[in-house]
Amino acid sequence: MPDAIPLAAERLSKTFGQTRALHGVSFTVEPGEIFGYLGPNGAGKTTTLRIALGLVRASQGSIRLFGGEPGDPASRRRIGFLPGDLRLYGDVRASQLLDWFARFRPLAPPRLRNELIDRFSLEAAALAQRVKFLSHGTRQKLGLIIAFQHDPELLLLDEPSNGLDPLVQQAFLELILETARRGRAVLFSSHLLHEVQAVCTRVAILRAGELVALERIEKLRALVVRRLTAEFPGPVPPGLLELPQVARARVDGHVARLWVHGDLAPVLAILANSNVRDLVFPEAELEDIFLSYYRGSERHA
Amino acid sequence: MRNLMARLMRRHAVTILACAGVLAGFQLLMCAIVATIDIGGALEQLVAFAPPAIQAMISQSVLAGGTVPGLMAFAWNHPITHALAMAVPIMLAARAVAGEVESGTIELVLAQPISRVTWLAAHVVFALAAMGVVAGAGVTATAVGQRIFDIDAFTHVRLLALLAAFLLLQLSVFAITLAFSAVSREAGRVAFAGVMVALMSYLVQAVAALWPRVESLGRYSLHHYYDPRALLVEGRFDPLVVIVLLGTAVVAGAVAVHAFRSRDLP
Repeated sequence: MPDAIPLAAERLSKTFGQTRALHGVSFTVEPGEIFGYLGPNGAGKTTTLRIALGLVRASQGSIRLFGGEPGDPASRRRIGFLPGDLRLYGDVRASQLLDWFARFRPLAPPRLRNELIDRFSLEAAALAQRVKFLSHGTRQKLGLIIAFQHDPELLLLDEPSNGLDPLVQQAFLELILETARRGRAVLFSSHLLHEVQAVCTRVAILRAGELVALERIEKLRALVVRRLTAEFPGPVPPGLLELPQVARARVDGHVARLWVHGDLAPVLAILANSNVRDLVFPEAELEDIFLSYYRGSERHA
Repeated sequence: MRNLMARLMRRHAVTILACAGVLAGFQLLMCAIVATIDIGGALEQLVAFAPPAIQAMISQSVLAGGTVPGLMAFAWNHPITHALAMAVPIMLAARAVAGEVESGTIELVLAQPISRVTWLAAHVVFALAAMGVVAGAGVTATAVGQRIFDIDAFTHVRLLALLAAFLLLQLSVFAITLAFSAVSREAGRVAFAGVMVALMSYLVQAVAALWPRVESLGRYSLHHYYDPRALLVEGRFDPLVVIVLLGTAVVAGAVAVHAFRSRDLP
């Protein structure tokens, strides 16, 4: 079924004993899409991926890969997977390990391998080493190559940039974008908002096993409440606190703490025209998004 | 499946060859002892290897025959032989599922296009081959030892019957341990359970052989159905050997497959 949706989850639920890991989760991942699966640790992201791979059975609901069952080897032939807690056989050389995983798909040769080795700057010496002697970052690169080397139609990546240095992280994000441009679907699970924002087209936000939101990334950006702290030599500039983008403000002497959402340009324009002594504008965090959603749901309640 | 077996070969080859080599060496040594030392002296040496409870059993069973074939047959019931025979199936079964779950490697491997049944089948086929290598090395060593030391003890047919029974005993212990492995997360615990099963089976048979009042308990031991003396000295191959040992292996194997197919991983 070449036209089937790469991944479709419907009312997916999973309980482990008394613990509810997932509850009624539904979403699809379309061809050419980078789908962000966002949530804090323990939200149920890994469980979802394991159900998709047939490693864990759903208590209720279903996941279908290209219209087939998750445990079906024919479905798995079309996917590439990187686990969140990557463990590799340590007693083999890295190049042998790549060959070994490639042999599971005799009809899909690892045609991207050399390109990936170049992209991730994996040296020949590292490939000749036994895996147990490689650093965590190098093992993560190996895991990414195992997932991508046969150019799969669907990639399931669980916290893929764990342990990668910033340069390799950038190379990895570019790789994902290129992969999607070739029509491949990517499910990108992460707890890092900035990473997901950089590449994803749609995002599902998971918290305590439930889907909090399923949005296009533009809408998500608009919903994010960013925290900003500005220190002025004198009083806080007039008009700053009254801007509609400023959801909340706290002034302490010459220091203004602002919670800003939506378009940042008007806030930055006022700050640019003011004599700012210090400015702290940290990366938006997942918790900020949750707060936005909770506020939204409280308003609707 | 070949890919999985290639990996198993790489991982376990040294251990399997070491067990096969030691078993072959031990059987050769037994041939040498039997051929070069008088029976009484040989018996004394054999008895010296074993713990007191086993010594009593040895004296009873071997002295009853007191012949070269009797001693040679005993070498195939010696605790060292049993320990080597059980090491390979228990190790392979414990690592097949529980070991891979414990190390965390199973998640990525089972995300590849292979089914769980294929995974288990590869481990079973490899284990059969490995147990065949160990048992084959031991039986070959006995056959070679007979020639080297000029002992006219057993025909090849009887040695083949011994090989079959020895393999079936290993297979039944492998299957039981695999059933434990299929539901567990720690290879060490599974291996311990496998060792306990093998040890209890051996001890129950030993006690039943020594103590007439509990003789009937022997039938509940897997080792009861592996009788080198009957196979080699008397040339008697009881169909119960196949029925009980193979039946145990099939039932335990089916439990392992069912448990492994239905469990959540890792």
